[in-house]
Amino acid sequence: MNGIDLSDFIAAMLATGLLRAVPLVLAGLGEAVAERAGLLNLGIEGMMLSGCFFGFWAAYHTESLTVGMLAAVAAGLVLGLIFGFLTISLRVDQVLVGLAITIFSAGLTGFLFRDLFGGQNVSAAVDPLQVAIPVLRDIPIIGEPFFDRQLIFYLGWGLVPVFAWLLVRTRFGLNVRAVGENPFAADAAGVNVIRTRYLAIAIGGAMAGFAGGYLAVADLKIFTIGMTVGQGFIALAITMLGRWNPYRIVVGAILFGMLRALADGLPILGVDVRTEFIGMLPYIGIMLGLVVLAGRTALPAALGVPYARGQR
Amino acid sequence: MVTGNATVDLAGGHSGPPPREAGNAIVEMRGISKRFGPVLANDNISLTLREGEIHAVLGENGAGKTTLMNILSGMYRPDSGTILIRGQEVGIGSPADALRQGIGTVYQHFTLVPNLSVIENVILGTDAGFVLDLTESERRLKAMLGDFDLNASPRTEVRHLSLGQRQRIEIIKVLFRGSRVLLLDEPTSVLTPVEVEGLFSILLRLKTEGVAVVLITHKLEEALEVSDRVSILRQGRKVGELGSDEIAGAGRSATKGRIVELMFGGSPVGETERRRDGETERRKDGETDRRTDKTLLSLRGVTVHGDRGEAAVRGLSLELFAGEVLGIAGVDGNGQKELGEVIAGQRHLTDGQVVLDDVEMTNRGTAAATRAGIGYVTDDRIGEGCVPGMSVAENAVLKMVTRQPFSKGIWLNRKAIEAEARELVTAFNVKTPSTATRVTLLSGGNIQKLLLARELAMNPKVLVCNKPTNGLDVKTAQFVLRTLREQADAGKAVLLISSELDELLALSDRIGVIYNGQLLAVFPRAEADLERIGHLMLGGTDREKVPA
Amino acid sequence: MTPRGRIVSAASLTPFVSSLLAIGLAFLVGGIFLEARGKDALLAYRILFERGLGDADGLTETFKQMAPLLIISGGLLISLRAGVWNIGLDGQFMVGALMAGVVGAALVGDVSRWLMLLAGAVVGFAGGLVWATVPALLRVRWGLNEIITTLMMNYVGLNLTSWLVKGPARDKARVAPETVKIPIADRLPAIPGTEVHVGLIAGLVVVVLVAVLFRSTVLGYMLNVLGRNPRAAIHAGLPVGRLTALALLLSGGFAGLAGASDVLGVQGFFKANWDPGYGFTGFALVYLARLNPVWLVPFAFFFSFLLIGGESMPRRADVPTYYVEMLEGLMLIFFAAAVYLEGLYAPGARRTARDESEPIVSPSGLVGETPTSVLSPGHPQGPSVVPSGDPS
Repeated sequence: MNGIDLSDFIAAMLATGLLRAVPLVLAGLGEAVAERAGLLNLGIEGMMLSGCFFGFWAAYHTESLTVGMLAAVAAGLVLGLIFGFLTISLRVDQVLVGLAITIFSAGLTGFLFRDLFGGQNVSAAVDPLQVAIPVLRDIPIIGEPFFDRQLIFYLGWGLVPVFAWLLVRTRFGLNVRAVGENPFAADAAGVNVIRTRYLAIAIGGAMAGFAGGYLAVADLKIFTIGMTVGQGFIALAITMLGRWNPYRIVVGAILFGMLRALADGLPILGVDVRTEFIGMLPYIGIMLGLVVLAGRTALPAALGVPYARGQR
Repeated sequence: MVTGNATVDLAGGHSGPPPREAGNAIVEMRGISKRFGPVLANDNISLTLREGEIHAVLGENGAGKTTLMNILSGMYRPDSGTILIRGQEVGIGSPADALRQGIGTVYQHFTLVPNLSVIENVILGTDAGFVLDLTESERRLKAMLGDFDLNASPRTEVRHLSLGQRQRIEIIKVLFRGSRVLLLDEPTSVLTPVEVEGLFSILLRLKTEGVAVVLITHKLEEALEVSDRVSILRQGRKVGELGSDEIAGAGRSATKGRIVELMFGGSPVGETERRRDGETERRKDGETDRRTDKTLLSLRGVTVHGDRGEAAVRGLSLELFAGEVLGIAGVDGNGQKELGEVIAGQRHLTDGQVVLDDVEMTNRGTAAATRAGIGYVTDDRIGEGCVPGMSVAENAVLKMVTRQPFSKGIWLNRKAIEAEARELVTAFNVKTPSTATRVTLLSGGNIQKLLLARELAMNPKVLVCNKPTNGLDVKTAQFVLRTLREQADAGKAVLLISSELDELLALSDRIGVIYNGQLLAVFPRAEADLERIGHLMLGGTDREKVPA
Repeated sequence: MTPRGRIVSAASLTPFVSSLLAIGLAFLVGGIFLEARGKDALLAYRILFERGLGDADGLTETFKQMAPLLIISGGLLISLRAGVWNIGLDGQFMVGALMAGVVGAALVGDVSRWLMLLAGAVVGFAGGLVWATVPALLRVRWGLNEIITTLMMNYVGLNLTSWLVKGPARDKARVAPETVKIPIADRLPAIPGTEVHVGLIAGLVVVVLVAVLFRSTVLGYMLNVLGRNPRAAIHAGLPVGRLTALALLLSGGFAGLAGASDVLGVQGFFKANWDPGYGFTGFALVYLARLNPVWLVPFAFFFSFLLIGGESMPRRADVPTYYVEMLEGLMLIFFAAAVYLEGLYAPGARRTARDESEPIVSPSGLVGETPTSVLSPGHPQGPSVVPSGDPS
């Protein structure tokens, strides 16, 4: 340690970790709804990336955080509905469609970024609306990471209990759970399976877009090609690890956020490790987590299975 | 089970319900037709359902009963015909529509979501605001649970309940919404006879409350036991309707004969009755049992776990002799499937031993079992027995593709495969355009013949068949049974697992009864009768009366 | 069994109507998009075709490009036919490429050229295979579904190769993080009379091997059974675990071999942050070829010229190369829709309710009829696009 105060370091790690966790949480919440409804959305990576680009593009031109975030959400939503149309209405394989959407998004955002920005690294001049909560922000170590943040950071975390409530305490949540577990039963009980699944994937797509928007607009204020580098897929894996429980998803997301923060932090501490080496950790961690939890999870029984009335 | 004072006096119901006035018609189905590809599943069927009446819809498998019900419940749309509810013509486009019209359905395969609680299942699909408010519903539900002799908590997850309990939850779910028409599709198929009595007492009570109950079944006795009216379907057409005056009282046995004739048409009544009506004749030559004393297969203290980790077969022992058909009777879901799979090597024993002809086979896997001479015909023909996208020929050699001459080293010999398939198709009269035809284009009966042919082509010592005649037409079913008998007569050992007592009695040399994963008794055919087997199937001890 | 001896029959052509329709629609929608962006779509497409197909130089590049695509898609086809999702092709490719680059460069001068190249190919294959071993083990030992694990292994591979090439495997004599260069004279030789290296021949050999595998061998038959109905595979006593692992390992190995082919034939070295992303292209290619080995060849040619032609589009038509990736995504999306339509209009497609309805592009089977889980499936499931025009 070359003279860096440890408590400062921990605060910095916590701060970065929480920041890195936000997009994973946002995308993970949406994915939790989609998966509980029976939709495995491998297009999440593409939806997030599109959220990044369109959010950035709108924010760059309007210099408005709100417009940027709305554009990001819209981009994810549109792709989510395309995914929904192909997998719900046309009943095409979800993995195939998910990959197609991810490929398409990678191409589309790369194309547009080159075309519109010439591949230059420009940043969007948005005001991220920093909000420091008085008193709380002065708590040592955790004060700054938790209570001196952008408005959207609080909003992101605030969505966690909202989703927990949505899934368990509302009619929509009940329908979602029934549709993912036994669509025939849900249909027989008068639940509109198709509509419920469309709503679920709309939420999943919108949240993935939101996550991308957070990344590119609120957090980094720049776009780079392929900037999500698998975070969508990580969010998907965390969702499964957390078994669709928003609070458990949060734990997973923070854990992996911290791992990523570590990659940035260790060199600062003077530890001689290449960032690529630490960069592997989150992905290895996911696999280890899956091994540990193997056999202890019950997926929604109809995950990945299309529904058509009259065919059982 | 059902001893509550709410129960209607069943005995009274049996000896002939008191004459009732016909209630008002709630539902009228007029001229309903529905076609699936080449099959006309419903052909111009009309049906009237009245308040306070139990209406049985009777027919063989494939007669169109379920299709008709699915039209009323909104799962299918009819190609033509109209549905009137209380005299008003309505269009039922979805199950939600049907529910709104007060038509509730209990499907054959239950439609509860296993990992939702009872209350969540019951309020699923009702419209009562965005935020779930369970307090009021829970109060109502608790009262209903008490009414139905269910002591489950509304917060219990449904997967913890027994099948009988789940069925009552299904009925409660329908009534909770105030449905006045209750459709039940083969409701007794998963129940023990005691549970069946409980169900019938519930139905009789609902009847007194003015609900119109539709009982869809292929079991004649059952239909007659509780119904006020019986409609008979045959090959998609309604071939008869009998009112309570014909069903009840002294005319009943004559009526039975008439119904059987209607259900099966011109086919010889003796034959069908033997298979369908429970009044089984003994096998003509069947008093002696033809087993030799050579043991081909023995299970010793076999314990096996089912898919959900429950002990499905517990400490079961049996001996199977050359030359015999050993029938295994039991209510569905008492470990039959697991028993078949463990012999076939498809399921892992946690305890016990399997010995085939003095060779230890315990946990040696499917391939070893097949090689050693165990044949297994699964009850899930399409889901497990064949590869849907592949041809008849490719399916014919599924289990012996690694043998000569079908392959040599790593290479397939397609000519030999083709030749074998042609031979099997001819020998077993499998109706298929060619051996290159996709196997899924064949009918269920022809697929079954192919699967049986496939096993016999490997000349097994022991053949295990799980429900081999399920869903087959009478002719094919008899072909399959005859083939099994021939195999036994040729010195093989056949284990016939079935829930059709008639075919067990007709074919077996000995009969065993499986209940809750245990073999309760095995006795020679000569000592077997329906009553004794039926009694054991419910878990009663042998030679003892069921406690009333 | 379709009649043997004929590679292409009229009946076997019909499934490709969907593929062609998907390609056509992708070009159409892509073109409209280009016009909307103020580009000259016709010019862009003309350049695409001119560069990729128009002259000897372009054709040479296209044929060179076919080598890795044929090899990687041949391997992917094995895994998809067996119902196993290998989405980790890129990671396997990178590891194979790096290992081939390092071993090849180390052997240059010490052994004969052919031996060096052979060694490079072998370690390339081995590298990809090793990379696929992890998900294969996780799948067979712990029942972890391969979708997530192969995806994760991609990113581990990307980081690992990047770390190695910046550290231990780096050519110290150079500023840029690269492995030691294999001299041009020692790389894969050209096919006589052309400038296309023999990787193309290797690719064709792979395709032939895969075609033979599924047409004539017991293993291919078993993989087909597994992919189409895993429960029947268990019922028939097939070695399901070993087949699943083998499908993953073979496809991983071929992905690694594709990496070796690119390094030994074209690049000459492995450099940091080089990721051609053939994995996604491979998916589009194998699906459009309807999982039919023979059809891999024309479709590999098609995708090759897209990639090569796409390289010229930025300069000459002001269209970024990412346009090709976008087209691939569009093709897959339209392919999915077209296959649905195919199910509606195919003869005999009017299914009866009683008939076992065979899904057109079947459920990913993440969860089949028996309750299983992505995290711990009871038995193998995976993709089972039912290939029509099936050679077997």
